[in-house]
Amino acid sequence: MEGLSTLATVLLLVPLASAAVITLFFRRSGKAAEWVSVVAAGIIMVLAFVLIFAWSGSGSLTASIPWLVLGDFRIEMGFLFNAEAATMLAVVGFIGFFIHLFSIGYMDDDPAQGRFFAGLSIFMFSMLGIVLADNLFMLFIFWELVGFSSYMLIAHYWDKDFASAASKKAFVVNRVGDFGFLIGIVWAYHYFGTANISEMSALVASGEKDVVTGIGLLLMCGFVGKSAQLPLQVWLTDAMAGPTPVSALIHAATMVAAGIYFMVRIFGILSPFTLDWILWSGAIMTTFAGICALGQDDIKKSLAYSTLAHLGYMATAIGLGFPGLAIMHMAMHACFKATLFLCSGSVIHACHHEQNMFKMGGLLRRMPITGIAFLIASLSISAVPFTAGYYSKDTIIASAWGLFANGSGGEYLGAYILTVLGALFTALYMGRMFFVVFLGKPNSEKAAKARESSVWMTLPLIVLGWVLSLGAGWFVQPGLDGSWLGGAMTSLLPTHAVEFMVQGFGNDGWKAAHAVYEASGAGWVEWLNLACVLAGFAFTFFYYGRGPSADRLEVNHPAVFQAVERHGWFDDLYDWYVAKVQQRFADILGFLDIFLIAGLLVRGAAGVAGLTGTLLRSLQVGSVHSYVYWFLIGIVFFWIFAAT
Amino acid sequence: MDAFFLYLAIFLPFGLGILLLFLPERTGEGAVRALGVLGFAVPLAVALFLALRFGSAPVEDGYRFLTAIDTGLSSLGIELRLGLNGISLPLFLLAGIVGFAAGLHALQSNAPRLRLYIALLLVMQAGLMGTFSSVDIFFFYFFHEFALVPTFVMIGIWGGFGRRSAAIEMTIYLTLGALLSLLGLLLLYVQSGAESFSLPALRDALAAQPLGETVASNAFALLLFGFGILVSLFPFHSWAPRGYAAAPTATAMLHAGVLKKFGLYGLIQIAYPLLPEGAGNWQGLLVWLALGNVVLLGFVTMAQRDLKQMIGYSSVMHMGYAFLGLLAFSTVGVGGAVLLLFGHGLSVALLFMLSTAVYHRTQTYDMQEMGGLIGKAPILAAFFAAATFASVGLPGFANFWGEFTIFISLWETYAWALIPAALGIIISAIYGLRAFSRIFMAEPSDALKEHWEENQVQDLQVRERVPACILLAGLLVVGFFPAVVTGPLDADLPGLQPAAAEASETILPHDATESSRLAATAPAAQEGSAVR
Repeated sequence: MEGLSTLATVLLLVPLASAAVITLFFRRSGKAAEWVSVVAAGIIMVLAFVLIFAWSGSGSLTASIPWLVLGDFRIEMGFLFNAEAATMLAVVGFIGFFIHLFSIGYMDDDPAQGRFFAGLSIFMFSMLGIVLADNLFMLFIFWELVGFSSYMLIAHYWDKDFASAASKKAFVVNRVGDFGFLIGIVWAYHYFGTANISEMSALVASGEKDVVTGIGLLLMCGFVGKSAQLPLQVWLTDAMAGPTPVSALIHAATMVAAGIYFMVRIFGILSPFTLDWILWSGAIMTTFAGICALGQDDIKKSLAYSTLAHLGYMATAIGLGFPGLAIMHMAMHACFKATLFLCSGSVIHACHHEQNMFKMGGLLRRMPITGIAFLIASLSISAVPFTAGYYSKDTIIASAWGLFANGSGGEYLGAYILTVLGALFTALYMGRMFFVVFLGKPNSEKAAKARESSVWMTLPLIVLGWVLSLGAGWFVQPGLDGSWLGGAMTSLLPTHAVEFMVQGFGNDGWKAAHAVYEASGAGWVEWLNLACVLAGFAFTFFYYGRGPSADRLEVNHPAVFQAVERHGWFDDLYDWYVAKVQQRFADILGFLDIFLIAGLLVRGAAGVAGLTGTLLRSLQVGSVHSYVYWFLIGIVFFWIFAAT
Repeated sequence: MDAFFLYLAIFLPFGLGILLLFLPERTGEGAVRALGVLGFAVPLAVALFLALRFGSAPVEDGYRFLTAIDTGLSSLGIELRLGLNGISLPLFLLAGIVGFAAGLHALQSNAPRLRLYIALLLVMQAGLMGTFSSVDIFFFYFFHEFALVPTFVMIGIWGGFGRRSAAIEMTIYLTLGALLSLLGLLLLYVQSGAESFSLPALRDALAAQPLGETVASNAFALLLFGFGILVSLFPFHSWAPRGYAAAPTATAMLHAGVLKKFGLYGLIQIAYPLLPEGAGNWQGLLVWLALGNVVLLGFVTMAQRDLKQMIGYSSVMHMGYAFLGLLAFSTVGVGGAVLLLFGHGLSVALLFMLSTAVYHRTQTYDMQEMGGLIGKAPILAAFFAAATFASVGLPGFANFWGEFTIFISLWETYAWALIPAALGIIISAIYGLRAFSRIFMAEPSDALKEHWEENQVQDLQVRERVPACILLAGLLVVGFFPAVVTGPLDADLPGLQPAAAEASETILPHDATESSRLAATAPAAQEGSAVR
């Protein structure tokens, strides 16, 4: 145990050291910065797997030391390592490393590589802190730090107005979520008498303390901000202003999933009402974001809405009461969504930073590795049977029906309908994206000259896209427990690794969810899902066509398209609030501050001020020496007075 | 022996300051610089040395390094009595760090009449070191005035736009505040019957024979509002932004960074421990005033276009948190307040310094007229970002621990105040990041493009980087290892509690140091289940 927590400490400090070294020595030498950061990411990946395999596979590792002590209040730095932490750590370490590799290729022509790679290292540090933290205080610290690294990386192209605005928006919107989160933490600490996650859960489990809805809802605010759920989702699409590897790592695979991860960690102290809230908000998001994704021409923004929708699926899984399933979907999503973003990065890089899908087209033939990876990930995210996404996403939808069927409540029917619609929209926007970008003929000079990306970029696509997006789910295949393909899959791996896959991917959660669905006996649910997916792809294939130069919906029904593009008018509302309410309120207070307090109250006491002013003026003879003399005379007088 | 260093930290800068003042006109710049560096470096060295020795030093009357000399005023019970405890140590250290940075900045500033400027700063530095190491409340006050008077003079001579009216407003306000607190201190002295200005003696006398509730309440009010004015408590804050905007950089750094903390330090070290009976009457009002600082002035900060005014207002806003930390007068809250004072002192000094560096490169303080400065000065931008995020309360910088522990402590007394107080984390992010992106990101304004075409603009120079690095190092060290500050605090804060604990019924329903943590949270538990 001692050894493991030392290992975890080293794991946490490696990226911090990398960031420090780059900041101090390699600000101007991009190549060196690149290698420091990539090597650090490699070490993190290796150590992460060493830690996972050394961990017993069950139970949890805990260790902590006091960091700030004031009276009987203490903030501790500690680790809680259990199944969900193992999965998250594997995702962050593995995908993080490959995205670092990808960045070497993607950022090859960037003048500020030092800043970029230092930012990535700070991100890895902060994210690992969230993964390992065993208490709410420490979690909040790293929570804020990922917010900072996200800000820093979104602002990478700082000279562009939209990047400047987007970075600010991301941080401030996250702070809005943290406002509730912070209050929730303070309340939880005083209510439970501890901020340690396992101690809190134990207090609830033993019946010593009740769950409190207020605490759960407030803590959920942090999740809503970080995972960009309703109504704070507005920052995530703007965050696409950052470089594409950042969008893949931070704004798709890991950081935004930290909110989900956090809710899973504190699952034990959530009340039924809180869970229902999460269920509804997540389920609504699956459909809402799916619709919004159809209104974007920018490939990254469309993918960002897809991320929102899939975070919605994870939230739905938590709301259904299957936190393990949520973690599993998080892991699967990390594989295919990182692939999708990296593919878009590969395409964008090849097309010289063109992000409009309708200026691409025909890229499958020019960039086959990227194209195939994108296709596999598209099938996976749409939950086509036996791809990675199928195991998690399909189970979420099916278990929602299962819960409704066994009479757990009407809300599960709502969640089922919304998530099925979400699945339909997934197929629609993924089909649209694939057919528009990769089939047909190029629609611009840039696309016509596109070439397959360098090996730095294609290698991660093969690993994450061709392999993991396809096969990551095979380890949880029913009846696996070591036996799928007659155990062929699992015999490839050491026993420890299998244990981790089974435990860590939330296999228990998956089994429980699947059992609920099996019990309902509704086999049509899976067929309906498949039908939705096929219908979605078929529809987009014929509706949008192959490699069109304009969005057919936009051309034929501009009003409908615009409504979709406004993504629910949230941004318009918030912009109005910021400009017309908040800023005016601030200006009015600023005016009152000068006019009332400084003007009337202070200078209105004109007699006093005038008198003092006259006195001062008579003393003010312009030479500092005279002040010194006055001062000394005063002191002498005082001393004489005191001594007599 | 260590006590000798306390005298050194006060009288060396003072002596050098006087020496500079009376040196012949033709003294070379080199000599002025050398004396200046010496005068600012020694207090910092002493502060660091004593901080290292602090843990092992013997404790006497709740103080370490205690020493006294008779100044011929013993008939009044006044002695020059110096020493440090866990509360004064961080501020003593803060004064050393910020003083050194401000001194270095002033020395390279090419200000006219540099010798005089440095001399006044050295006198101010002496006063600062003295005020935070005084155990005798007469000298505590005396040294404060010693540091305050040069401020007015410096604003009057080297100040920027509107310096005269700002200097006068500041003088009136701060003199008024100082007088009120002096009255309070005198009242304490007279009523306690201790016949001594020494803080431990006063504490013993008051513990043996507490003041009547009315007297205690009045004395506390005098101290609260007197000290409050000095810390720019709402609505007595209007001097601060205007004064800082007009003040020369090093003065603003020292005043906003260190001297202003005197008021809160006085409340923590003197008013609350000595007059717990009096404090209870005023907490209900103080919470509203402190929230005025955080929320109302937070919005006012958002409305600022002038960079220096904005920093001034933000500094006023953050003082509201420190007041909130005092409400429970628990170890957590007061510890948080001291942590915040330390962090804020460094970050605001850094911001004032960097805002001058920005001005040199843009020729304006109007943030609407800036933009794109990262391209010209990336290192300046990095420092500015660090200072901004420190003041926004990002973990990794000292300020975060202060704000966070204050929020924790607030639950014990005014849980509802947590909601408006926590709004501050959004407000400060809005104005902080808005300022950063207006100054450094996006396209430069047309006027700025023109200016840059005609003039060579360089990044932060080494001589500017050194003081910036010193301040940043302080923020990061405490940001990563808060125990540097909380260790001494945790050791000595409970020592202030005996008096406060007696009155814990009037000040706070459940004192964190008295009852166990779980017991203290019992009422919260009821509330929790009520919500459920």
